[in-house]
Parts: sequence; structure tokens; C-alpha cells
Amino acid sequence: MHDDAFQLAAQWYDGHNAVRHEGVAVWDGGQSLSLTSPTSVMDVPFGDLTWGEERGGEKVYRRTSEPDFRLILPSEIPPGIAAHLPAKATYGAWVDKLGLGKAAAAFAAVSIAAVALFMTAPEWLGPRVPVSWERNLGDAMIGDFGGRMCSTPAGDAAMAKLLDAVDPAEEQVRANVANIDMVNAVAVPGGRVMLFDGLVQQAETPEELAGVLGHEVGHVRERHVMTALLRQFGLSILLSGANSGVGDTVFGLASMGYSRDAEREADIYSRARMAESDVSPLGAAAFFERLGGKSSSDDDEDGDDADAEDSVVGWIASHPGPGERARAYRKAAEGKSFKPVLTNEEFEAIKSMCAEDPDVEEFEFF
Amino acid sequence: MEQTDIEAESAFGFDGTWQEFAKIAFPNLLLTIVTLGIYRFWATTRERQYLWAHSRFVDERLEWTGTGKELFIGFLLVLVLFVLPLSMFSFVQQALIARGYEAVAAASTFALFIGILFLTGLARFRALRYRLSRTRWRGIRGGSNDQGFGYGFSYSWKTIVSYLTIGLLFPWSMTSLWNERMRKMSFGPHEFDANADSANVFARFLLFYLSPFIFFIGALVAGATGALAGYGIGGEDGAAIGGIAMIVGLVLFFYLGLGLIAVAFYAKFYREVVGATSWGDLRFSFEASTMDWVKLLIGDALLVVFTLGIGFIFLSYRHWKFFMTHMEAGGEILLDDLTQSTTATAKHGEGLLDAFDIGAI
Repeated sequence: MHDDAFQLAAQWYDGHNAVRHEGVAVWDGGQSLSLTSPTSVMDVPFGDLTWGEERGGEKVYRRTSEPDFRLILPSEIPPGIAAHLPAKATYGAWVDKLGLGKAAAAFAAVSIAAVALFMTAPEWLGPRVPVSWERNLGDAMIGDFGGRMCSTPAGDAAMAKLLDAVDPAEEQVRANVANIDMVNAVAVPGGRVMLFDGLVQQAETPEELAGVLGHEVGHVRERHVMTALLRQFGLSILLSGANSGVGDTVFGLASMGYSRDAEREADIYSRARMAESDVSPLGAAAFFERLGGKSSSDDDEDGDDADAEDSVVGWIASHPGPGERARAYRKAAEGKSFKPVLTNEEFEAIKSMCAEDPDVEEFEFF
Repeated sequence: MEQTDIEAESAFGFDGTWQEFAKIAFPNLLLTIVTLGIYRFWATTRERQYLWAHSRFVDERLEWTGTGKELFIGFLLVLVLFVLPLSMFSFVQQALIARGYEAVAAASTFALFIGILFLTGLARFRALRYRLSRTRWRGIRGGSNDQGFGYGFSYSWKTIVSYLTIGLLFPWSMTSLWNERMRKMSFGPHEFDANADSANVFARFLLFYLSPFIFFIGALVAGATGALAGYGIGGEDGAAIGGIAMIVGLVLFFYLGLGLIAVAFYAKFYREVVGATSWGDLRFSFEASTMDWVKLLIGDALLVVFTLGIGFIFLSYRHWKFFMTHMEAGGEILLDDLTQSTTATAKHGEGLLDAFDIGAI
């Protein structure tokens, strides 16, 4: 028995050729739809139909078993048949289920959590990376720094003695003087610390060097280097490797920024080791005071200048205010007596090690 | 036998409205923002579903069957296969420089440039293949059985040759690459064919190429005359004003005049390549004049500026509508002969294209 309510105009394509079949779709109350036209007769089970799309007053359905089959029905479908047809989908499963507003709010919450996790990842992930991994990674990145590390027997011995004073650990960091005429010192990936020759030449006492070296060792021991490396890596992922400027890379390494808190931690580490080794913190204090005297700029100035005088400002720029630091170091010296960290000969050996090393490479700006 | 003669009216039509499109575009924008951009693959898919469904070819609407998921997978593939290695590459370069191998670092940068050129060509090919394979018309789809590696190679060397000839061979490389790409595509059982000839667009290109020189000489003469005239009228100040007028003229020329000539070339180029493209017994043509393109681009700019940028979500709508309303086709289609495409279909979308940010058309 045919009721008009259960019959409607239909068009379909079989998905094998481009011939359009125009006829009727008839539902007899069962689990399938009978399509009849002069050119094609077929039965389509409701369970095989999926929602396609809505277009200009028509609804399009697809078949799971026949991916390119298309059934086109008018928008107004009798409720009897409509109940068996797949429901309309607008956005896709998740958003349709929740509704646009709720879905947007849920996505926003997840996004904020993900951003927070990503932003803080260096801080909690950095200290958990095994030291040996960092060492391998650093060796792969830095190698021998292009032969720019200065080395003489007397200078190496003096550096070792200086390092003993601020790095009492079993496995020490590797400390070198690099043949770079900038007033700077860096802790680079792989448990390696470099004093630049420009800074060594500026130092007036070995205690000044001990203060700076201790500070950089502090960065290594407190895992600031790995944290900064992860932060840089995260940024480069965000920028999709946009920092491909070749000339920037060495500076990128050298100026890998630490937070102010990290700088304070490194200072505290440095003072603690110096106190243990009876090394006077007054040298470091004097060093900061001298730097502070030369600097007339504020703390935010960018420190990329290559000029030796200007780079004094550079070292200050990435660190806490020199006056504040000098006070902290002076306070640490109150009511104590110290012994010299190096002899004059040893200090001179460090000062002259770059000039006297015949094999060392020059550092050139690109 | 069913046969359709399509000479009667335009073979292509578009009946979408921007109000309807807005109902898709604004929720898309919202969801894209709250998902930090991840939704954009699904957003693109929804937009295309709308645009395709409101586009008519002869007597039936198009249908977009691509999914957001496959675009997303394509994006992830590109991320893993190209972007991560690239950021690793910058670490390797740092290592090379730190060790003093600057020459090796420079050489690897050059190799990287060639590689990116190749991938750009590959991406353009794959994007067109993907779009054809996800387009249904009367239940029939398109595609290509070519992987596009040969095209990527052609794209690399033809682009380099164009640069080596200080740009003079650009029309040739553009038309020959169009031909090469279209000939590898098919829809249903028929392959596309394209015989675009760069000779037909070269005059326009020369206009674009030489106009800066001609204008510069003209401007020098005019400027000198203007300065002299200004001097005659107002002494030193007059000369300065005359000189400034020349500079203003130059700036206007470079930003507006040269842009206009570039559009004129592109309009001509597009008419040539589409007009030289055929599919079975159908020949296509593209009827947009330079003025039509200028109106489109000025409309784009005004729309974006006056909506403080939000109007950009309507640009894809405007461009698609422009494309569909200016496309024409003539000839006959034998529908009985139009069987389903047998080309392979990729499971992932336009990741590469997306990564290099290139449009397919």
C-alpha cells in the first residue's frame, strides 16, 4: 500500500558514471528506501546512508558502501522517512554534540592550559634533563668552538686552580678562556663555561675572575643553561625555524638570556662557593662597581655591540643592576678574612694565555 | 544517450551569498581562535563545502568531499617531515659555525634553498591534485596518477633559469609549468590538456618589465623640467617643490602604476592559460579583464581596511566567486562516457601547500 507521505521526488548518481537518475524514493515502512527511475532501480538500506550536505533547497546523502553514490532529496522530507535518515551535521562531531558556545569555551580552556604548559615547560623540564644528555648535546653544538679556546700549560693550570675554588663538585664543569675581544662570560650547553679574553683583560684581580667564573658555574649547576636551551628551542618551533640568520647564531648562543631570578641564583651560588673556599667576594664587588661606573645606560639596553667598551654595558644589561650586586657581594665579605685565590704569576698566566697560545683561532664577526 | 550542449548560457555559475557565507565564516573565526589555529583545517573544509555547493557547472552543482581531518594530517606530516628537520638544521648550522666551518654552513644553506624550491613546485602540484580529487560533479571526481616529483624538478630548474635570464623567461616558465601541471591532471576518464603559449603574453610582460626604465627616464626629464619650471617661477624653493613632485610621482608609480601593470599582465596570463586548457571536447576560457581584476583587488583592500581586518574572512568567498563567474566553457560532454576517475587518491591533504602558503589557482 502506497501512501503519498512516504514517497518523494529524488535524484541520484551511482558514482560510476555521470548519468543523473531522476525518479522517486519510496519507503514501504521497512529498513530501506526504494529508488525507481526509468534508468535505474535500486534499494538503499537506511543504515548505509550518511549525511552529505545541504545545498540550495536540497539535501544530499552518501552511501558508506559506495563512496561516490549521491542521493539528492528535497529539503522538506516527510517526518516518517526523515526519522530514518541520518541527522544533519554542521560543524563535525564534537562541536555539533556540545553546541557552538560550549565547544568554543571548552576549546579555549584546553588551549589556555596547553599554552601555560608550553610556556612553563623549560622551567620544570630543564632541570630534569640528565646532565650527560646536556653534555652530549653541548658537545654536538659547540665542539671545540672552532679552536678559539686559549690554552697554555701555565694558563690551564691556573684556570684549573681558579675553577677548584668555585666548583668543588666531583665532575667539574669545563672552564676556558675564549679568544674573543668582548667583555663577557657565558655558560654554554654541555657544562662548559667560557670567559672571553676581553673580560679577562679588564679584570684587575684574580678574585674578580673567580666571581664571574663562579657565577657562570652557578648557571650550569642550577640547570639554567638547559632551561634556556629548551626555551630557545620552543621559540624556534613556534617561529617554525625562522631564526635562520647565520650571523646571529654565535651571538644567539652567547646571549641566551636568563631570567633575573636565574641571575640572582647564579650569584648566590657563586658567593656560597667563594665563601667555602675563602675567596674574597670584594674582587667581584669591585668589578661590578667598575662596570656600573662605566655604564650610564639603563638596564634594558640591548647588549649586542661588539665594541669592547660598549659590551661592558652589554654584560650588565642581561644581569641585575651592578650596584645591587656589588652591595650583595660586599655584604658577604663583612667580618671575614680571605686568602688569595691565585698567585700573581698564575693570574698573569691567565691574562696572557690567549696572546701566547700559537694555535688559537681569531674570532671574526660575520 | 544523454548529451548536454552547453553553448546556451555560461557553463559556470555561482549562487552563494555573503550573508550565508558569514554564518560559516564567523563561527569558523571563533573556533579557529579558541583552538589556537588548529580548527582552521576544518574551517577551510566548511568554507569549501559551501563554495563548491553553490557553484554550478552546466546543470549540476559541485561538491567538496575533502575533510578537515585529512588537511590536519597533511599539516602534521609536513611538520614532522619538514619543519622539525628544518629547525634541527638550524642547530646543525650553529654547530658548523661554532666549529669554524662557515663555508660548509653557507653551502648547506644553498642546498636548502634548492630543496625549498623543489618542495614549492611539488606543493603546487599536489595541491591541484588534491583539490581535483576532492571535487565531485555528478558523482565523478578528478585527480592524477602522477606523484608530482617530475613537476617539482621542472619547477626548480625553470625558476632558476628565469632568474638567470634576469626575469625575461618568466612568462615562458609560468606558461610551460601551467601546461605541464594541467596535462598530468584528469577529471573522470578524460585528461586535461593545455597548450598555453608564452608568446601571447610576452608583450604584456615586456610592458611590466620595461616600464620602470621608461618611466624612470620620463620622470627624470619631467622632474628636471618641473624643477626648472619651478626654479623659473619660485627660485630655489620652486626647484625643491618641482623635485618633490617628481619623487611623489615616482612613489605613486612604483606602488600603483607598477602594481596595475602587474595586474594587467596577470589578467592576460590567466586568460591565455585557461583559454589554452581543454578537457575532453570542452574548451575553457576565462573572461576577466584587467579592470575586473583591479576591481576585485581594490574591493579586497577596502573590505579589509574598513572592517579593521575582519573582512579578510570574506576574501576566499570573493576570490572563488570571481573565479566561478568569469570561467566559461564551450563544447560537448557525452555524459554516458563520463565514468568514474580511476586515479589514486591521497589520504592526506594540502599540508605542503599549506606550509608554503601558496594558492592553487
